[in-house]
Amino acid sequence: MPSATLLGQALISGVLAGGMYGLLAMGLSLSWGLLRLVNLSHFALAFLSAYIVYELGTKYGVAPWWSAAMVVPLMFAVGASQYWLFDRFRVNELASLLITFSFAVIVEAGIQIYWTADYRRFETHYATESIKAGPFFIPVLDLTMCIVASVLAWGTWMWLRKTYVGKGLRAAAEDADIAAAYGVDHRKLAYILSGIGAAYAGIAGTFIALIATLAPAQIWAWLGVVFAVVIIGRLGNPMGALLAGMLIGASESLAMAVLSPAWAPVVSFSVLIVILLWDPEWL
Amino acid sequence: MAVNAAAALPRLVAVLAVAAFAALPMAGLPAFYDSFFYLVFFWISLATSWAILSGFAGYFSLGHAAFFGIGMYTTAVLTTWFEVPVLLTIPAAAGLAALFGVVIGAVVFRLRRLRGELFALLTLSVTFVIATIILNTPIDGGAGIFMSAVPIPNLLPTPTGSIYLMGFVLCVATLVIAWKVAHSRLGMGLYAIHDDEDVAESKGVPTFRYKIAAFALSAGIAGAVGGVHALYVGFITVAGTFELTVPLFVVLMSVIGGARHWFGPAVGATFITVLLYAFISGGEAMVGRAIVGVILILSILWLPDGVIPAAKAWFARRRPAPKRHSAEVAPVVPAARPVGDRNVLEVRGVTKRFGGLQALSGVDLDVREGEIVGLVGPNGSGKTTLINVISGHYPLSGGTIAVDGAQIGTLSAHEIARRGVARTYQIPRPFTNMTVLENVVAAATFGGAPRPAREIRDEALHWIGFTGLSGKEEMLPAALNLHERKFLELARALAARPKLLLLDEVLSGLNPAEVDNAIRLVRAIRAQGATIVFVEHLMRAVVELSDRVAVLNEGKLFALGAPREVMRDPRVVSIYLGKAYAA
Amino acid sequence: MLLEVRDLHIGYGDAPAVWGASLDVDAGEIVSVIGPNGAGKTTLINAIAGLLRVRQGELRFDGADMRHVKAHEFCAHGIALVPEGRRLFVKMSVEENLELGCYLPAARAARAESLERVYGLFPILRQKRLQPAGELSGGQQQMVAIGRALMARPRIVLFDEPSLGLAPAIVDDMFDIIVRVRDSGAAVLLVEQNVLKALGVADRAYVLEQGRIMAHGVPDELMTQPHIREAYLGV
Repeated sequence: MPSATLLGQALISGVLAGGMYGLLAMGLSLSWGLLRLVNLSHFALAFLSAYIVYELGTKYGVAPWWSAAMVVPLMFAVGASQYWLFDRFRVNELASLLITFSFAVIVEAGIQIYWTADYRRFETHYATESIKAGPFFIPVLDLTMCIVASVLAWGTWMWLRKTYVGKGLRAAAEDADIAAAYGVDHRKLAYILSGIGAAYAGIAGTFIALIATLAPAQIWAWLGVVFAVVIIGRLGNPMGALLAGMLIGASESLAMAVLSPAWAPVVSFSVLIVILLWDPEWL
Repeated sequence: MAVNAAAALPRLVAVLAVAAFAALPMAGLPAFYDSFFYLVFFWISLATSWAILSGFAGYFSLGHAAFFGIGMYTTAVLTTWFEVPVLLTIPAAAGLAALFGVVIGAVVFRLRRLRGELFALLTLSVTFVIATIILNTPIDGGAGIFMSAVPIPNLLPTPTGSIYLMGFVLCVATLVIAWKVAHSRLGMGLYAIHDDEDVAESKGVPTFRYKIAAFALSAGIAGAVGGVHALYVGFITVAGTFELTVPLFVVLMSVIGGARHWFGPAVGATFITVLLYAFISGGEAMVGRAIVGVILILSILWLPDGVIPAAKAWFARRRPAPKRHSAEVAPVVPAARPVGDRNVLEVRGVTKRFGGLQALSGVDLDVREGEIVGLVGPNGSGKTTLINVISGHYPLSGGTIAVDGAQIGTLSAHEIARRGVARTYQIPRPFTNMTVLENVVAAATFGGAPRPAREIRDEALHWIGFTGLSGKEEMLPAALNLHERKFLELARALAARPKLLLLDEVLSGLNPAEVDNAIRLVRAIRAQGATIVFVEHLMRAVVELSDRVAVLNEGKLFALGAPREVMRDPRVVSIYLGKAYAA
Repeated sequence: MLLEVRDLHIGYGDAPAVWGASLDVDAGEIVSVIGPNGAGKTTLINAIAGLLRVRQGELRFDGADMRHVKAHEFCAHGIALVPEGRRLFVKMSVEENLELGCYLPAARAARAESLERVYGLFPILRQKRLQPAGELSGGQQQMVAIGRALMARPRIVLFDEPSLGLAPAIVDDMFDIIVRVRDSGAAVLLVEQNVLKALGVADRAYVLEQGRIMAHGVPDELMTQPHIREAYLGV
């Protein structure tokens, strides 16, 4: 059994790493829960953003936050255009999954053609900085990411709960006809939401560029875990997605510390399988 | 004779093609061709095996890599550790993968909501779990298994030729199995499950068993394919085996070709493999992948059913349209058979609760042979619920139901259907991807006594004619109007030769002329000696058609008797129109 | 005339259809449409609310042709629906359901005032305002559905089977509320299976059978005609 300090450090790293799962899960959860579209290309958009941030940073010396200011609106536009396609062809959940998978394959191929399959790393001086709190180390970047993720999750949650647009979206997800009878123009709101979901992929991508090593095949690496997080956090609930992400991150990290690193994936998928078999109301 | 020749031609072509491909490695081509064709066979087998569960029955799996991987590791472990001959490990690989499929299916298929994207996610998760377990146990230990020392059976002079031959045999076997399934009772049941599982069950399809069988077949073939593929790759790692591209390419190939057709996945697999290979050999593998992605998007948007069904539809349109008959029925009505003394249906003290809601509380009802009983009552009085518990759609909360003296209260819906209870739905629920004829044939196959296919077809045609749908046999239900779809419901119910026919609002939504037509039809059915219980809101029809009327109110049997007397009973009038009106 | 329906044909999917129905509702009136199950009442009212497309015929509201108006624009004209089976947003709170009623800017401006009015009408809803609507009893859910419609400040409220599935004592309350809605200035079109209740509150009424209007007039006249009895009882 590892020492308490080691476990504590594992817990902290896990929660912080889980913030990334949560950040990625949020956009997916919104479009699945509120628009009934399963967007597999979310991961590809995040990595595309990461590569753009990397490119601008390493080639032109653009600071990542300026790159983000460009990438995020771009992703919003991509997300909104994707909704146009889904709406135009009246795509159902299963077909949306296949189409966005194809879209992800195309993006992956594009990345590999332009940036090759080599591993890429965006070296920054803040990547290695950390705060020391008692016996524990807290990496500054991971902490920043978790703070951004929390603010976004909380903000989105409030937006859905407190604004008329948010209420209209939730109402339309339950009964689009009756929502329309009270004036909710579901399609207009769906464009906005689809754009926001993709914009979150842009934000996640910025942090991926700073934290992770980039390779085209990495697009698929988090798919399983993030889906587990989306379902555990309840569809359409950004706060749930973030908390579930941190929970899974922490469990994975503890499993790694106690068992061995390779056991980590079993944690999230076992939780997902148990939840699916438990068959709760809110799926 | 001409017909025979036309039928024999595809068979001849198939035999020649099989012979030509089997002899190909002997032709002395470079080994490159052996491995290229092997890959085509590999993807055809894998995509076709996926389609047996996911295409035919509509249970969309993203976990096909799990079964393929189990097969690969079975062969790898047995040959390298236990020195079992390769050819013996292939059945073992198939068997173990099939066993996994059965175990997973036995758990998952009990949960009704685990369909669609949730089933896809669950199977995907199972893949990752199996992969991680293999990675972390002595099976693999994370290092992978080398198969370089394994003797490849000397089926042909070269090793690549031998692997080619194994892949080819497996591919032909897979296609034969897929063809057999598609043209069997099992396949018909799976197609019905794909379109509407509840209705399939109520028509007598043992849906749970069939889904397990399809899962076992699908997983078993994937396991065998994995076993052979272990020889081809030679070095087996978890990352290379359980990667996402396997299930995703399999899905892509099947969807492009047509996942519901036995040959669709083969077309899609050939097309994609050739395309990818062309780009790989041109040094542009990534461009190839991107183009595959574009093709998939376009095909889902414009050819959602796949190439083969689209091609079939195109050919069907080019053929001259068959002569259309009108749906007007004017059957010769023989004298009505007298009502017998025997009870066909005995309902005793039946109750049904949904959570806190008491939908039926202690209903007793006997229906005699040859009788028509109209079931009426205000909204929410429990009429449709009663139909649903008799047909087994809902389990009983209490009481007993007997048909022909046999207790059916605890049986599942398909067993009740087999005992001669047929029903229709208020909103028609045809199997949407089957033609009118196939719909009726499926109902006759699973509902009635076992008969030869020829006889079933004739009987189906008879009932299609009886309900006035002649000339529309080859149409899909979507091409019918509401009136005709309601009659298709009737034809399906009648084709099961039911002892007891349950009709749920046959007349709702029809215009007045269609209502008269439908009433004539129900009379004609009755004249054939059927025993009928029908729920109906159109009172003029209830009074005209029924021998007796049962009035339900708040889940209880409120009144029972001759229609005109019952409907004039002040108590009945008051539940419909209020006390003041009854006075 | 506030609402004018002329020779309306509606048919959708597999639900009961309407074959040429005509009716009028004037401001300040309660008009009932009665008829047995399956006669097409819900189809008719859903088309007037904009949820279903009209196949043929005229649909005018306050003189405006509504046939090509989009579903989500009907509410802005002053039409609010209390749908059959309530159809609340069950995962959302009671108050959020009510707020959906005032989704459009004009109604939103009067949110506080409208909310007070609804809570005044149904005090129990103020206590339950933060509960998910799905957890309420059937009668309370019906109150939310009516409240949601009133929040839109409508000129006409369409009630679809408001008594369905409710206990008799609560049914009486519902019909009292319908009269109060009319007294507060909105016209009411009521579709109802419960003949006596529907005729009891109506100024005028229509009998719908098999998708056609079979009779119309003032309630007392209709009571004495054989149409209703035939439609409901078949004898």
